[in-house]
Amino acid sequence: MDKKGLTPKDFISIGIFTAIWFVVEFAFGILGYIHPYIVAAYVVMLPLAGAIPMMLFYTKVEKFGMLTIMSVLIAIIMFVTGMGYLGAPITIASGLIADLIAKSGNYKKFPKTVLSYGVFCLWICANYFPILVTADSYRQDLVDAGYSAEYCDNLFRAINPRTIAVLLIVCFICGCIGAFIGKAAVRKHFEKAGIA
Amino acid sequence: MSAKLDPRTKLYMILIVSAVVMMSATTPLLWVVRIAMTLIPLILLVAEKRYASALRFTILYAIALVLTFCFLSEESTGILQSLLIGYCGIAVQFLPALITAWYVVRTTKIDEFMSAMQRMHVPDGIAISLAVVMRFFPTIKEEYASITDAMRMRGISFGGGRPSKMVEYRMIPLLFSCVNIGDELSAAAITRGLGGKVKRTSVEELRLRVSDWILILGFTAAASVFVIFKYVL
Repeated sequence: MDKKGLTPKDFISIGIFTAIWFVVEFAFGILGYIHPYIVAAYVVMLPLAGAIPMMLFYTKVEKFGMLTIMSVLIAIIMFVTGMGYLGAPITIASGLIADLIAKSGNYKKFPKTVLSYGVFCLWICANYFPILVTADSYRQDLVDAGYSAEYCDNLFRAINPRTIAVLLIVCFICGCIGAFIGKAAVRKHFEKAGIA
Repeated sequence: MSAKLDPRTKLYMILIVSAVVMMSATTPLLWVVRIAMTLIPLILLVAEKRYASALRFTILYAIALVLTFCFLSEESTGILQSLLIGYCGIAVQFLPALITAWYVVRTTKIDEFMSAMQRMHVPDGIAISLAVVMRFFPTIKEEYASITDAMRMRGISFGGGRPSKMVEYRMIPLLFSCVNIGDELSAAAITRGLGGKVKRTSVEELRLRVSDWILILGFTAAASVFVIFKYVL
């Protein structure tokens, strides 16, 4: 097989799975407007919800760069949908590290895939970045945008520099759990059908 | 005047609108700028004869604005209010970006987009993947609607009462059809010479017309007004 570079087929898979992953993420993301604790709970919901498409994607990843490009795309989409640019470096960095981990397992070893997906999921925490870095002005922005003070207080109680470490760890663990669930689903449905 | 715009203008619009969306409007002037920026893609949608979506977006945005100004404040509490905040928060904050993105996705042909990306020297990998992402959102919506129909015919709605089955009945079929479409798409792309060593040419000649420049200038001006009045004055 040609190991040199990525082919258009790879790029198209990246595009498709980014789109699916974004739709899933968006569906859950809307829930966050109901209560700020749900925003904090993204670290549990999103890795689990996105696991099945991502595990299917991992079966298609064979070369270095696919996960990195995906994280770049996610960063672009997050910017376009108004999530800010502060999280972009973290998003891309987590994609790159995830890519390196998966590469060290030659993209085939399942334990490495689990770790890699766990790291990849850390981009979700990148969305919290504006809340941490620009806490005061961000709060003012929210109040101006029509959020209640109650929502803001809860949001900052759930997400602050003290809790971010916990959130990161939870995110990673949920990513790993999600990888197992996703793998089981892929095995059940797709491998028999010959797609994976 | 032809309403056809250069894809680069459209991308620039997305960039500016997303940047402005991130900064909240605090004074009436800023609100005016922001609403004006939202109106432009709406007008463009009408110009492209997409009346239904233009109307839908206008109504959504108008309701959200009215609600935000009349009923919600820092002191609002309670369940109804928090649901309203949920709706208005999304709508007021993100609808401008969403409308612009929708306009761009719906009116840009993929070949135009690709040749614009090529003109801007974006790496092929990112350009192709982004083009696929853009093209795919409507496809996912259609596929999901068909799957819902198919499930309803079999008498399964929302996972047949079992939420855990929801994933199996919705996401798995969706993934199946998306993977298949992806295979077809890559076959089609290779047929058209994507990924070859040669520089690709395009049937569409991209040119920045007067209307493009007007829009670019307008958006730049709006963004500068926004930034200056928010942070400098």
